[in-house]
Order: sequence, then C-alpha cells, then structure tokens
Amino acid sequence: MLLDYDRLGWLRVALVGFTAAVAAFLLLPVVFIVLLSFGSSRWLAFPPPGWTLKWYEQLFADPTWIDAALTSARIAAMSAVLAVVIGLFASFALVRGEFRGRQLLRGLLLTPMVLPVVVFAIAIYAFFLRIGLAGTTIGFVIAHTILALPFAIIPITAALEGFDKSIEDAAIVCGASPLQARLRITLPSIRIGIFSAAIFSFLASWDEVVVAIFMASPTLQTLPVKIWGSLRADLSPVVAAASSLLVGLTLCLMIVTALLRRKLSR
Amino acid sequence: MQGSSLRRGSIAGLTAGSGSALPALLLVGLFFIVPVVALLLRSVTDPEPGLQNYAALFGSGTYVRVFLNTFLVAAVVTAVTILVAFPVAWMLAIMPPAYGSIVFGIIILSMWTNLLTRTYAWMVLLQRTGVINRTLMGLGIIQEPLPLINNLAGVTIGMVYIMLPFMILPLVGTLRAIDPMTLRAAALCGASPFQAFRRILLPLSLPGIAAGGLMVFVMSLGYFVTPALLGGTSNMMLAEMIAQTVQSLLNWGLGSAAAFVLLVITMALYALQLRLVGARRTGGGL
Repeated sequence: MLLDYDRLGWLRVALVGFTAAVAAFLLLPVVFIVLLSFGSSRWLAFPPPGWTLKWYEQLFADPTWIDAALTSARIAAMSAVLAVVIGLFASFALVRGEFRGRQLLRGLLLTPMVLPVVVFAIAIYAFFLRIGLAGTTIGFVIAHTILALPFAIIPITAALEGFDKSIEDAAIVCGASPLQARLRITLPSIRIGIFSAAIFSFLASWDEVVVAIFMASPTLQTLPVKIWGSLRADLSPVVAAASSLLVGLTLCLMIVTALLRRKLSR
Repeated sequence: MQGSSLRRGSIAGLTAGSGSALPALLLVGLFFIVPVVALLLRSVTDPEPGLQNYAALFGSGTYVRVFLNTFLVAAVVTAVTILVAFPVAWMLAIMPPAYGSIVFGIIILSMWTNLLTRTYAWMVLLQRTGVINRTLMGLGIIQEPLPLINNLAGVTIGMVYIMLPFMILPLVGTLRAIDPMTLRAAALCGASPFQAFRRILLPLSLPGIAAGGLMVFVMSLGYFVTPALLGGTSNMMLAEMIAQTVQSLLNWGLGSAAAFVLLVITMALYALQLRLVGARRTGGGL
C-alpha cells in the first residue's frame, strides 16, 4: 500500500509533513533574501528594524552594477544564440546520422557539462592568455558557448528523437526541397526543444561564476563576478537588492516558460 | 529507422550524415580538448619535465588533507541529500498533482535562482548573529550561538540545498515507474509496511538512488563556489585549492596536477554512472 496515496494512513501525515518542511527549506533563502533587501539594517539584522528602498537606490546609482548586468546579458545572449545554432546542427547529426562513433561524439559534446568547471576554467584561461583572448568579450563568449552547448544539445536531440521523420519525407515527396522541408516542417515541430535549449543555455552563461572569475578583467566583468567580489569583501545589503532582482527575473522566466510551453504545445 | 527510398532526399541534404556536427566538433576540439590536454601536459612539464608536481601533491600533508576533506564533504553531502530527497520524491510520485505541482514549482524556483544568490542567503542565515542562531536561542533550544558557517556544517547545508533538486527529480521518475500492484501484493501476503518498504520499495528504487547519488557525489567533488564561501580555511576542498594555486600562488604546474587528479576521478565515476543508467538517460532534469 506504500504507493497508494489514499491508503498510507499515519505514514502519509509524516511524509506530507516532511515534504512540506523540505519545500519550506528550499523556499527559505529565496524569500529571505527578498525580504532582507527591503530591510534598513546595514548589518543585515532580521527581522529588520525598518523598511527602506535605499539599497535599490544605491544599486541603480552605481554604474559598475549596471555595467556588469549589461555585460552579462550581452555575453549570455550571444552564447545562447551560438550554442542553439551549433547545437541544432550537431543534433541532426547525433539523431539522424549513420556514422561510426556517433555515441562517442555525443559523449564528447556533453563532456563540458560533466567535467568540473574549475578544470575547464584554468585550462581555457591559460589557453586564452597565450593567444590573447583572456579578458575579452570573444573569449567569454567562446568559453560560455562550450559550457552551454550540452544544455542546448540535450533538449534538441530529445525533441528530434520524438519527431516522426516520415512527415518531413512526406513534404519532400510533395515537392518541397529538403531544406524547405526542414525549415517549414521539422523546425516548427521541435520548437519546444529549441526554446528550452535557448533558456537553458542563456542561464548556463548568465549564472556562470568560475570561468568568469578567471576571465574577468578590470574593464570587463559579468554580474556573477561583481557579486562574487562583493561577497568576498563584505556582505553589503546592496547584494541583497541585486539578488532580489535576479529572483524576480527567475520568476518571470518561469512564468514565460510555462505560458510559452502551453502555447507552443497546442 | 525505415531504410526506404524516402531517405535518399535527406542523405543528399546538409544535415544527413556527420557533417552538420562539424561546427560543434571544431568548437569543442579547439577550445575544450586542446586547452584541457595542454593543461594536463603542463602538470608534467612546468617548471621542468618530470613528475615532481605529483610528488609534491601526494607527499605533502596539506594537500593530502585537502583530498580527504573533499571526499568527506562529498560523501556527507551525498548521504544527507539521499536521505532528504527520498521521502520527498516518494510523495511527489504519488501525491495528487494539484499539491505536487506546487512542490515542483518550488523546486524549479530554487534550482533556477542564481547560484550566488542562494549561497549569499545561506551566508547571512547561518552567521553567528543570523536568523537561525537567533531563532534557536529565542526558543531556548541553545544557549550559545552554534558555529554554522566556515566549517563542515555550513558547507553541508549549502551543498545539500543545491543538490536536492538533482536527486529529487530523477528519483520521482524511478518511483513512478514502480508498479503499485507489487506493494499491494506484498500487503495481501501479510507484509507489514516496514517489511514492504525494506524488501520491495527500497530495492526497486535502488537503481535510481545509486544513479542520482553518484551524480551528486561527482558534482560535489568538483564544486567550487559554495565550499569557497561557506566552508572554512581548515576544510578547503579540491576545486578551491586548484583555483588558489593557480590564481594566487601562480603555481601552474601544481595546479594542473591537482586538476588532472580531479579530472581522472570525475571521469571514472561518470563512466560508472553511464554504465548504471545507460548513456541515454543522463540529462538529469532537462
């Protein structure tokens, strides 16, 4: 009876209670940081002695925060576009290709997700130091595209595997060129996969800390590098304000994803 | 799939064979394989050819302690994550969807929230004068503030928080795939709930637990951000040591050697995980 929700008896009370506690544990830091960002205490006392917007004012008055956010957005957008386009082409080969070493190739392209990112970080940093790409936007975008690629390939190959290829073939039989068939039949059919790929690869770059810490230069730093620096220096409430905006962004992204998925899957 | 004449159309196309993987292969080859191999070569050539970096790494008590500590933290984090995740995944697998989707929403929100944001929140929550210590003291449970940060306790709490979604989400799949009839049959045959749990439910979910646990263990071994911010100097982990050796001490040879050790351990455990789950199912929660 252990897998019958209605017949668990007293065990159900205990398990539901435990699940609720874990959900609260998962929610705690997110809610806490948002509340804290409106608190007036410089020393992050909680509950706050009063409420204020001054940390947000300081955040928006500081051009280095704005710069860092814009840099992050720019690098993440470029990395996501590259990862999705390159990942899309690679996915066709991985799903439909008939060549030796296909599984090996898949494993190779997914390795950047498995390898500890600190190993990749110092490797690419050393490499870029030598060829002069360290601390440049191009260097950032290349490194982040590699880290984002697995997050693009996994949803796109999954969508492509679920797509019945005979529909594309039917379009060709009806006179479409292979390219037309692929652009007008296949791509729209796997759009949910492509959309997930775009979201995940954007986030992979936007949230990336370790490579960014090495790659950053005084004139080029992303938002995570800026936050990292503030965390190491002091626990300023301005970080709480920046963090709360990031939480808001995550919520927006979740809502947009849910709505778009509903719309696209219709 | 169907090797009919219809395939000819696509064989002529750009994306038929392996060709369309070329850009990805070039990118990963040039900017991933080459730098990583160059780094590993550096571990035996910098400052001079030889194995002296590895000798220094395994000969020094400091570095050996970092290795042991890394394994200890990863093991503790994995064990706690499994214990916490299992009951939650169990409930999520059988709960009415209306409640379940709330819990799933919270898990996704926590998972998608910026990593530094979550770690920052724990730094503030766990500090000496933080909310947790103040609440516990207010309730009269403790008299003195507990040391919750810059030690093993802090790293464990912060890491378990980050790893939980990676354990819960795949486990829900495993538990949903178990036929409830097997447990009904056990009950009919007179098994007590505890017996049914120990002899049926647990063994049937063991592949999921092993696969998820291994993934959490591997991810924890190489984790950098959370241990660096929540851990203490006395229990530094491998990833932080590698970064420091390279960034502050500029000792590339030693850092590369440590990176190579981390790479070998990670890849070996990853290969083990692939054998456990099969290559197709390792995308986690994507």
